Amino acid sequence: MGPVELLHMSVFSQSFSPCGRFLAAGNGYGEIALFSLSAALSPDSTPLSHKPVLTFTAHEGPVLALVSSESLLFSCGNGEIRVWSWSHLLKKNVKPLWTKRPDYKLGLEIPEINAMILLSKENSLVVGGGDNNLHVLDLETGVFKSVLRGHQDYIHCVCEQEREGQILSGSEDGAVRIWDLRSSQSVHIIEVHKYEACARPQYGKWISCLATDNDWMLCGGGPSLALWHLRSLSPTSVFPLSGCTRHAAFYQDLILAVGEGPLVSHCMLGGDVKAQIPSSSPNLNCLQINSKSSEHRMLTVGGSSDHIDVFTNLSYRAFSLSF
Amino acid sequence: MFTLSYLLPSHILMLFSLYFVVCLICCMYYFLPFSETEKKTTLDQALRCVLGDQIVSICSATTPFLLLGDVLDCLPLDQCDRIFTFVEENVSTWKSNTFYTAGKNYLLRMCNDLLRRLSKSQNTVFCGRIQLFLARLFPLSEKSGLNLQSQFNLENITVFNKNEQESTLGQKHTEEKEEGMDVEEGEMGEDEGPAPCSIPIDYTLYRKFWTLQDYFRNPMQCYDKFSWMTFVKYSDDTLAVFKSFKLDDMQASKKKLEELRASSGEHVYFAKFLTSEKLMDLQLSDSNFRRHILLQYLILFQYLKGQVKFKSSSCVLNDDQSTWIEETTKLVYQLLKEIPPDGDKFATMVEHMLNSEDNWNSWKNEGCPSFVRERSIDEKPKRPTRKRAAPEDFLGKGPDRKIFMGNDELTRLWNLNPDNMEACKSESREFMPSLDEFFTEAIEQADPVNMVEEEYKVVRNPNYGWRALRLLSRISPHFFQPTNQKYKSLADYLDSMVSKLAKELPKDIPSEEIKTGEEDDDDNGDNLLKESNDSPSVQGIQNKLVTNQQMDEMASKLGAQWKTLASQLEMKASELREIEADSEDVEMQAKLLLVAWQDREGAQATVESLAAALNAAGFSHIAEGLTEA
Repeated sequence: MGPVELLHMSVFSQSFSPCGRFLAAGNGYGEIALFSLSAALSPDSTPLSHKPVLTFTAHEGPVLALVSSESLLFSCGNGEIRVWSWSHLLKKNVKPLWTKRPDYKLGLEIPEINAMILLSKENSLVVGGGDNNLHVLDLETGVFKSVLRGHQDYIHCVCEQEREGQILSGSEDGAVRIWDLRSSQSVHIIEVHKYEACARPQYGKWISCLATDNDWMLCGGGPSLALWHLRSLSPTSVFPLSGCTRHAAFYQDLILAVGEGPLVSHCMLGGDVKAQIPSSSPNLNCLQINSKSSEHRMLTVGGSSDHIDVFTNLSYRAFSLSF
Repeated sequence: MFTLSYLLPSHILMLFSLYFVVCLICCMYYFLPFSETEKKTTLDQALRCVLGDQIVSICSATTPFLLLGDVLDCLPLDQCDRIFTFVEENVSTWKSNTFYTAGKNYLLRMCNDLLRRLSKSQNTVFCGRIQLFLARLFPLSEKSGLNLQSQFNLENITVFNKNEQESTLGQKHTEEKEEGMDVEEGEMGEDEGPAPCSIPIDYTLYRKFWTLQDYFRNPMQCYDKFSWMTFVKYSDDTLAVFKSFKLDDMQASKKKLEELRASSGEHVYFAKFLTSEKLMDLQLSDSNFRRHILLQYLILFQYLKGQVKFKSSSCVLNDDQSTWIEETTKLVYQLLKEIPPDGDKFATMVEHMLNSEDNWNSWKNEGCPSFVRERSIDEKPKRPTRKRAAPEDFLGKGPDRKIFMGNDELTRLWNLNPDNMEACKSESREFMPSLDEFFTEAIEQADPVNMVEEEYKVVRNPNYGWRALRLLSRISPHFFQPTNQKYKSLADYLDSMVSKLAKELPKDIPSEEIKTGEEDDDDNGDNLLKESNDSPSVQGIQNKLVTNQQMDEMASKLGAQWKTLASQLEMKASELREIEADSEDVEMQAKLLLVAWQDREGAQATVESLAAALNAAGFSHIAEGLTEA
């Protein structure tokens, strides 16, 4: 990896291992790198311990989504889903377990898969991408059991509302659709750009991030990042963040949001921005919180650089892992 | 144990008793269960007699200090506390003149001995009290209390875990447990309770942060190039963390403070930083901690930039360093202002204090001049004091320097001889008789020719004897000649003296002369007056009284200008008005003036005095005419 490639690298996705001691990150060149967190956090860490313990090419195109289950790492790239076993990876065995492709009705074009989530209760994987549809893969049988159609434009993000067994998807057409899995129908459609409080026509109407926490939903993108109450389907607080938010998450009583700009924003549920912590990348694409291991509890953010910033204390950047 | 050489011998006993009482009190503290107040009052009473202004009469002023020093040396620390309370309360006594110069060195030594025995972390309050006492006792410019050379406490080393072996965290505990080592270690591992490390530690920041403390401890390192580079790098990182980690959530930090307090179980005061890695997060989110560190920066920068006389000349900052310090100072102040609560006020306060610290620095550079302004000797020109004129200057302004007493008779009496000393020295006041006068009768009686009986001799008269002794002691050399002869009575002594005198004095003194001498004594009183009367007029040639004819002539010459003369003659204004009222003719008025003057002067209305007055008034031609006549 020459310096020019490193300069142009972007990190698009991250996922922590089930034991919590490793981080897998996918970049725009289709590579996945594995970082050892215990080595990076130990008292005698050297700059070498901030480098990946394993790097391998996963896909031809950029790795846009990574998801970990109990023992497997799912990654998606150009229209395909690949699966690795964590234990194999830790032994440096980079052979994927299987590769699957959803059934695209389009001809020549292979749409990218932008978002992927794992439904642990139904043991299914939901992917959404360039073909405007959500495909649900049953992990038991390995068959795509349903397709959720409805969006007019490609899907940016997908997330799950566990209690109700619903899936939310946000797409380029500016709508957030709430799907019911059993019926494979969209239960609600929220056209976020139509709400004046959060609409930002100068940025567009696309929804680039979604997150849910029981009755609450975060969505943002072209419109401002806003907190929605799902039962009433109305925005309760709008966050005054400049730029488009690319990833947001609920964490304890805070909302963490990253997007355009080098800052990680900490927001309160009431709508104020509590703090904005600078990071080393000019823009940030993804953030991940390692909740699986308390010893390695950290926040990692990656964006348009080859560095992944690690925050052990949420309020300042401790160090960076780099490709 | 006690050297008593400083005591006056006559009061040793009193001091012994004092010492004994004090030793008794010390024993009392040890062994007897008296109550606090009882002990205190007895101590006060015993030692109160030590103080007071009478101390100098009992013993030297250093005794109380030696006493107190010895007492404090003998007692354990908890009882020293009570004795020291006594010392503290009487600080104003120790500062008084009787005690200060004698005792200040003893007090200083005593306090330093106490401080050496005490631990700064265990007996902080007591140490503080001793320091405060010393601060009150000595003036501000007392050199023993100053850190003259601006030295640093190089022993204040902040210890932190530099490598992983020292770290108590990590996976080693679990490994030891699994290996089944000694029961102790296993138990220790179990007793550790929750997971040895439950949060991730940022070791790089931890190490950088606590390394900075070494630079604060010894600022001279900053002048070394490599150390400076390290310092700059670490400081930049740390301050960047402070900058991004903004403290605005008071709730969170309050909760964490309470956790911290609960874990240490003590008051928040600390003497050293707690440097465990686990505390790093909590410390970073604590406003007080952050203020400490930022203040350390400011103090360091002030030292590096400041002019301290005792810094060696190689300790100079170059331009880069100075610019970096400037920028970082601005950043530090900005960070201070952002720290809640009341960040702005705190920052202005800090700035103000550091500015006043500059003043103290320049004071030390000048060699600590005293703050008591000494009154310089020849500063202001002395205000010319109006000396009251001596009486001689304003009395006796009249001619012949006569003093007017307001009443003619008084004036006459006073002016018989205005100078009292001269009057006393006149011969007529010489009352001591001469030997021959006094003893003539006795000599005559001693002559066996006259056959005067013993009991009728005048020497037997006790009054006469006493006067004789006095006279002899004043005049006669025989009085002082030592003699082995013992006299049974005064009369016998006088007999022998008289016989001696008789041999010396001329024998043919007629008895009439004695009588005339006695008569003369009676007349002496009157003679005194007459003689003094004569003395002033002896000097002048013209002592004649002014005659009426002369007065008429002068009156005609004076005419309307008699008023000028009147002021020279010292006539009263009332008299002048009378004269004016009496007649309208100026010649008449002049005549009346002269008559009044003559009446007043009486025997002293002489030509000379009038001539003098005329001359003084500017009528010298009239005066000449007067004297010619």
